Amino acid sequence: MNFIDKFFEKRARTVAQLSNRRGFIKGVAASLVGASTIPLLPVARASETPKLPQEAGDPSSCDYWRYCAIDGFLCDCCGGSYNTCPPGTEMSPITWIGTCQNPVDGRNYVISYNDCCGKTQCGTCLCQRDEGDRPLYRSDKSNDVNWCLGASSSVYHCSTAIVVGIAFDEGSSK
Amino acid sequence: MWLRIIVWGLCFLWSTQSIAADNQLKMNTDRAKFNYQMFCQGCHTPDGTGGKSVPKIKDHIGYFLQNKVAREYLVRVPGSANSSLNDEQLAEVLNWMILELGGKSVPKDMKYFTTKEVGTLRQAPLFEVVEYREQLVKQLSVK
Repeated sequence: MNFIDKFFEKRARTVAQLSNRRGFIKGVAASLVGASTIPLLPVARASETPKLPQEAGDPSSCDYWRYCAIDGFLCDCCGGSYNTCPPGTEMSPITWIGTCQNPVDGRNYVISYNDCCGKTQCGTCLCQRDEGDRPLYRSDKSNDVNWCLGASSSVYHCSTAIVVGIAFDEGSSK
Repeated sequence: MWLRIIVWGLCFLWSTQSIAADNQLKMNTDRAKFNYQMFCQGCHTPDGTGGKSVPKIKDHIGYFLQNKVAREYLVRVPGSANSSLNDEQLAEVLNWMILELGGKSVPKDMKYFTTKEVGTLRQAPLFEVVEYREQLVKQLSVK
């Protein structure tokens, strides 16, 4: 154990020679002041990506960017919105998913077309854009499936288009 | 004395590295998440909870690594085997789902799916899933 004693004695003496007793407090104080000024510096604040996509267009029109593959009635015209169901209906947890390009930032977003179920067809704002829609043998990519099969009532009322993420771009990744 | 410590230390480092080399995880997390969203999430829901007849992945999927047949099931199930993903991306999304959604069900010494393993297993897709799965689940021990 002799070498351990020697080692720690040597370290302790080095520390005692190289530092003073109030140095620690000085260091803490300096780092506190220093850290508090960092948020004040003008560091590329503009590059922070917004959590929600930038918006353009009318959510009650079939042309609205989130509806690029929709087939059904827009909940936005039926008392709900592009991401909420009208009162008295239930959102099906089971859905089909595709991507749409946002014209404002040019990026592709992952869109979940959750149907609202439990009341008879809404009947207004019927849209059928079907971009990227696949035949029924690719059922997870088909909008001809009644996705209300996942809700407690299988009666279809209207469709939402919810952004659930940003599409992965093979070209821009490392 | 010092020499002995150094030699032991080197031996230890070398042994842990050679274990890790057999079970390396190659994953692009962004791509894996996107593929989960595009090809799985529609039915399995964003956090893997599922619903109605859709099996629960969240905190359960890792139990399927307990035996060979159950492990193979994760690749042979139609959603995996018949998906339009290539072998590399299917292996990637399976590993991602287990690590991201598996929670406490994931074994500590998890063996990752490899491109080659997935490529072989998906050649034998399952046609009947519900009863097959029921039989499998009976053999698994759930914490």
